[in-house]
Amino acid sequence: MYKLTGVTKLYQKGRRTVPAVRDLSLVIGDGEWLAVQGRTGHGKSTLLNLLGGLDRPTEGSVEMDGTDLGALRETRLTRLRAESIGFVFQTFNLVPTLSAAENVEAALIPLGTGYSARGKRVAAALEQVGLADRGAHLPTELSGGQQQRVAIARALVKDPKVLLADEPTGNLDEDTRNEIIGLLERLWRERGLTLVLVTHDSSVARRAQSAGLMNKGRLTIRRAAAPPAGPSARS
Amino acid sequence: MFFAKYLRRELRHRMRQAVFIALGLALGVGLVVTVSAASAGVKTAQSKVLSALYGVGTDVTVTGAAPSPPKPGQAPPKGAQLIQMGPNGPETCTSSGKCTSMAGKTQENVTSNYAGISASKMAAAARLRDVAAAAGGITLSDTSITFPKSDPDALPQPVSYTVDGVDISDTSLGPLSSASLTSGHSFTAAESDSYVAVVDSGYGGAHDLKVGSVITIDQAKYTVIGIVSQPQGSNPPDVYVPLARAQAMSSVVPTDLKDEVNTIYLTAASAADISTVSKEVSALLPGTTVTTASSLASEATGSVNSAASLANSLGRWLSVLVLIAAFAVASLLTMAAVARRAREFGTLKAIGWRSRRIVGQVLGESVALGIAGAAAGVGLGFAGAAIIAAIAPKLHETTGGNSGQVASGSSGAPAGARMVQIGGNPTHTVAVQLHPSITPGVIVLAVVLAVAGGLLAGVIGSWRISQLRPADALARVA
Repeated sequence: MYKLTGVTKLYQKGRRTVPAVRDLSLVIGDGEWLAVQGRTGHGKSTLLNLLGGLDRPTEGSVEMDGTDLGALRETRLTRLRAESIGFVFQTFNLVPTLSAAENVEAALIPLGTGYSARGKRVAAALEQVGLADRGAHLPTELSGGQQQRVAIARALVKDPKVLLADEPTGNLDEDTRNEIIGLLERLWRERGLTLVLVTHDSSVARRAQSAGLMNKGRLTIRRAAAPPAGPSARS
Repeated sequence: MFFAKYLRRELRHRMRQAVFIALGLALGVGLVVTVSAASAGVKTAQSKVLSALYGVGTDVTVTGAAPSPPKPGQAPPKGAQLIQMGPNGPETCTSSGKCTSMAGKTQENVTSNYAGISASKMAAAARLRDVAAAAGGITLSDTSITFPKSDPDALPQPVSYTVDGVDISDTSLGPLSSASLTSGHSFTAAESDSYVAVVDSGYGGAHDLKVGSVITIDQAKYTVIGIVSQPQGSNPPDVYVPLARAQAMSSVVPTDLKDEVNTIYLTAASAADISTVSKEVSALLPGTTVTTASSLASEATGSVNSAASLANSLGRWLSVLVLIAAFAVASLLTMAAVARRAREFGTLKAIGWRSRRIVGQVLGESVALGIAGAAAGVGLGFAGAAIIAAIAPKLHETTGGNSGQVASGSSGAPAGARMVQIGGNPTHTVAVQLHPSITPGVIVLAVVLAVAGGLLAGVIGSWRISQLRPADALARVA
């Protein structure tokens, strides 16, 4: 799915240049679940942004299914994200003025899906995350765990190839964290997704197929992926 | 539709700010509508005034030179009666010094408001190439003053009424052209030389005159044959007599008008010819006063002109300033709202929304506020116009010369004597009510301005977010 070759990302902070990712090379297979651990500020989120096409590398290449994301025009990149990449954020990032169902529906708008088809897919996505009866609720009327479920539904409603989760349990209590990780694991197995999950929680990282550690912009793979226990990975 | 749903929810979410922006736009637009309505009302008032003073169908008026008011020490005009207040009260004296008391007597004078124009000169004016029609008339003032028997120091005020000699062969021009007959009949061809009069309804009502009443003009008795009324706001003469009778009045001051007129009413062949006719007549009849609607407007004084200046200068600038301020406030508030939603927009970009769609959403919200501002602004404009109509005093426009007046001192009179000129050239003052009017064009302008203001705010506010990279937008703290 992904092939990163000599990827470096530098940020300019005033006169200083800050290397967020340094000379990183990585291969992530189809259907693989990679957990990336590391301390705050060591480049985990930057790696996720590069994998999701939200940012472009300063050096090197990020290839997704053979396509160099850094070479794509912004409109093409946006289209790729609309069709193939789902995001889950630490702070849920739901639109506060839209209901749970409408937040999920927002992910289908760029695809031009018809009104009735959208309704069906939204209902199915909320059903999958156990929130079929909460569609009309605003984010402020949902608990943290429920909001994250809505965010997961939004990420998966378009049937993506890749799910990128940036500290999805960072704002949740332990019980809810386990629920969410359990949900992500189940969906990963059922759909054969490629899942890259950033976390600073070792107990979460242990549940992944493979795990890496980001340290000052460099990634070290600590445990390589074993063959997946669920359905075969998507091609 | 998702776009409308998202728009509605977002505006409801920040209702206070949305109302503030819409109200700001409404205020600016409302002021524009009110000022435009007031300006239109003043223009209408001006044209009413001018057509009231000018009459319907007349494009150019030619009048003989107006007599100047007497200066202290100056001899009275020929035919004028010099009455001085002597030690025993009012008296009139001959050049030889023989004086007769005027106590308890009435002195009447008929004064021509303008110098005469001969029939041949009038005919020459009528033959000008760009003149479609011409009619002559005589404008006179009949003034009488009654001196009390006792109280020799009292200076009574003259009582005047205006008399117009009308060319009854063509009443489509001149003072009767816009009159409506309310009782009796107007002049007939057979009455061209008769002692008959038509009276204005206002004057007739004030003096209890009706068809069949008899009035005295220049010591001759005239029978009232008809009562007419003129359009509201006009300043019509009080009495109309056949032109021939006006020309035959013998005691006209300064000189009688036998075979003459003192006013010519001309219709130009077309509106474009008015200026040409005006120049041609001025060249043909030097010494006369040639007046058109535009020249009358420039010499008119009064509150109509003041209101026009106020609406055109102060009103216009004030509404422009308020609009600019409203646009600026709307833009700043929109920018602030968009900045607060940076993470939201970053998330939408992350899930596949193009910048164009996000900008469209922000523009839609701003335009919706602009439309709300337009609706409220038009409402405010109507309210402002209604308030102006309710509280605005009647506007006045005045043109013309002098009125009968008192001057002190006189040639040959004892020291301390006062001189009174009876009769004169009255000013024309027309009163009109200001009716602000809101035209469809102004409403369209208001809507366009408010929507443009909303669009401008949306463009300025959304430009930055369209440039923001998704990663940077997501990194923003909400």
